Amino acid sequence: MANCPKKVQNSKPSSVLIDPVYSSMIALLIIVMACVEICDAVTVVDVYRLVQYDIGGVPFGSRLASLNHHAGSSLFSSSSGAAADLSRTVLILPVRELNLTFIKEYIAQRKPLGGLLLLLPPAFSPNADSVGGADHDSVNDLMKEVLVELEQLLIHANIPYPVYFGFEDDGIDTVLADVKKNDATGQLATATTGGYKLVVSVPEPKKVASPTIANIQGWLPGLKADGDSNQLPTIAIVASYDTFGAAPALSVGSDSNGSGVVALLEIARLFSILYSNPKTRGRYNLLFGLTSGGPYNYNGTYKWLRSLDQRQRETIDYAICLNSIGSFNNDLWIHVSKPPENAYIKQIFEGFSNVAEELGLKVGLKHKKINISNTRFLKYSRWPGSTEQFSRLRVTAATLSELSFAPELLQSTGGLSDNRHFVDEASISRRVKLVAESLARHIYDLKGKDIDIFADNSSLAVNPSYVRSWLDLLSTTPRVAPFLSKTDPIIMALKKELADHTIEVNVQQEVLDGMFTFYDSTTGRLHIYQVASVTFDLLLLLVLGSYLIVLFSFLVITTRGLDDLISLFRRPPSRKVKTA
Amino acid sequence: MTVFHFFNCAILTFGPHAVYYSATPLSEYDTLGTSIKAAVVYLITSLVKLVCLATFLNVSESDRFDPYQELLKALIGFIDVAGLYFALTQLTHRNISQNHKFQAVGLGWAFADSVLHRLAPLWVGARGLEFTWDYILQGLEANANLVLSISLAALGSLMWLRKNKPKTLIPIIYVCAGIVATMPSITSYLRLGLEWHLPKVVGFELFTSLVMAFISWQLYSACQRPSN
Repeated sequence: MANCPKKVQNSKPSSVLIDPVYSSMIALLIIVMACVEICDAVTVVDVYRLVQYDIGGVPFGSRLASLNHHAGSSLFSSSSGAAADLSRTVLILPVRELNLTFIKEYIAQRKPLGGLLLLLPPAFSPNADSVGGADHDSVNDLMKEVLVELEQLLIHANIPYPVYFGFEDDGIDTVLADVKKNDATGQLATATTGGYKLVVSVPEPKKVASPTIANIQGWLPGLKADGDSNQLPTIAIVASYDTFGAAPALSVGSDSNGSGVVALLEIARLFSILYSNPKTRGRYNLLFGLTSGGPYNYNGTYKWLRSLDQRQRETIDYAICLNSIGSFNNDLWIHVSKPPENAYIKQIFEGFSNVAEELGLKVGLKHKKINISNTRFLKYSRWPGSTEQFSRLRVTAATLSELSFAPELLQSTGGLSDNRHFVDEASISRRVKLVAESLARHIYDLKGKDIDIFADNSSLAVNPSYVRSWLDLLSTTPRVAPFLSKTDPIIMALKKELADHTIEVNVQQEVLDGMFTFYDSTTGRLHIYQVASVTFDLLLLLVLGSYLIVLFSFLVITTRGLDDLISLFRRPPSRKVKTA
Repeated sequence: MTVFHFFNCAILTFGPHAVYYSATPLSEYDTLGTSIKAAVVYLITSLVKLVCLATFLNVSESDRFDPYQELLKALIGFIDVAGLYFALTQLTHRNISQNHKFQAVGLGWAFADSVLHRLAPLWVGARGLEFTWDYILQGLEANANLVLSISLAALGSLMWLRKNKPKTLIPIIYVCAGIVATMPSITSYLRLGLEWHLPKVVGFELFTSLVMAFISWQLYSACQRPSN
């Protein structure tokens, strides 16, 4: 406190003076005044906005960002069965207690609402304390399904009011309990009845100008025999690293496709050890590709492939795409676009099955017939994996994934429910071993021989802590491509990591397909104010007015006498009498 | 709506001063000059207190009631009394009776106190969206302070301006003056030492101010009788 007076004196000499009782309050308030924003709310929470985007000019998602309305807690008022007028109310709905049918109807009928705040269980926060693993239980699995459905509903709807996601915590739980209590009395909170006010003040959302997608590739050249002028064949390993979800700031995509990225990096690391010694360098080049634009029909993969030199592309024997290989279940599927009778496909599949048998895994084959010439059709279906994009350029490709069906556009892209809890790093390690072993046997021509190249406890073993640390990093980094800048830290980190394991690393920047337009403003801070109603203020004014009048009369009576008080009111008439 | 709240709290905090001035004969005798001079003296007194506190007081991190620090603060609080003495005796006032002089000085003193200590928090805090009872309680405190200031001014004028007082009443006068002067220390002890909440403290202040006002009124009228 000895320092306070001097500081305080410089800012407001006349009004700040020390008094034993009020000094600390004054000092605190001066500091507060010096801040740009005076935060006097009951609770301040970080909230994440629903994505806002257009596909070919058709708007989707939440179209507004700023919020300034009273809080409500249910779609119906308790007094009447019909829905109340909620156009100036923000509903706080915990997802745990959500009734999806009501929400669907509400949104489908485009009923007006001031705003929507959905509260997610804290387990789904990217910064949740407990790490995944065997920690998942049936409650969370049920929540996951609900979230997936909710997410699909919200991203395909055009919602004209702000929708925000927040996490349940003590502060907001008490506020919600209070709001529910108030609502139970049958009145909705408005300006005249008091209650809570929710404010998010962010600027109008603007279009993200020319969103870029960055494809990172790394090249591990094989061993060319002396005098051999032919190009070595290449095997490509591809994974897309970006995500898309209902809340872009929460889309960490641990499984889709964090698991694929981690697997690719680990495979790159293992093969770089093998390829560092000319004696163990294989006669295949290895091309590692981390592509972006995955959720948008593998736009990035296509552009990346096209940017490759024609001759380089022709040397690609086949490509393996890794997509969502981190879940707890043991099923694995290889999706191909060429018919299974094709010799190459047979070879690849046999190689994988043999290794899988030895490891105790099960691999199935899925073939999806696609019409390559019909490019319009391609726009609305994505799978098998990015093999479509490869097929367009006549490259044989297979996608390894735990999903047995083909997701639609913007499905299974790493949304709200895809976080660290639902990913098993042991599973990823097993599958890395599967892919690496199969590739190695193909490269070194070891078919039929019982050799374990990447044996456990050897120098070439799959490193579980490497897998875990990259998975943890990716599970705390939202990676929605339009919101990543050209030199975003995660892109630089992936580039650096790939550069550690491969020889030539290139980052190719492309512009995202013009059909998609995104709008910014993905997070905000929600201020919850407890407000008094206008009636309270009027009442207070009345009370104060009467108090002052009473005080006035009291003082007049005691100091000047009662006659004076009466004469105050009688003077005008008496003057008239005098002049008359 | 929130400017409304600010307006409400402002009239609670500053209204009584204006009402006091207009209701009592002070307005008839045009004692505004005296009040303004008293307010200026209060400002200077507060500056002096500020410097003394900065020099002598240690900054304690905790919120406990430290008797030694509080004693020092109380001693420095007596500078207040000295200031009041100066305002009552040394300033040249126009020809006003004793009766009105102490009231005008007390009023000016209390008004300056309210403006200095309560206007800034009110302006900053009461205009926000968030509603708290603090500013209303602060306004009530301002009212209590007004009564206390006038009582202290009354006792002060009795002590220093009135020459012939009944001998028996002199010690009582000094005791009462002492109590009123140390009111700030007492309230801070209640707030920090006994950890009373703000409404309770404000209630206590209002009660004691009314009691002390009554006592000083009785003393004043008792002293006034002999000269009449």
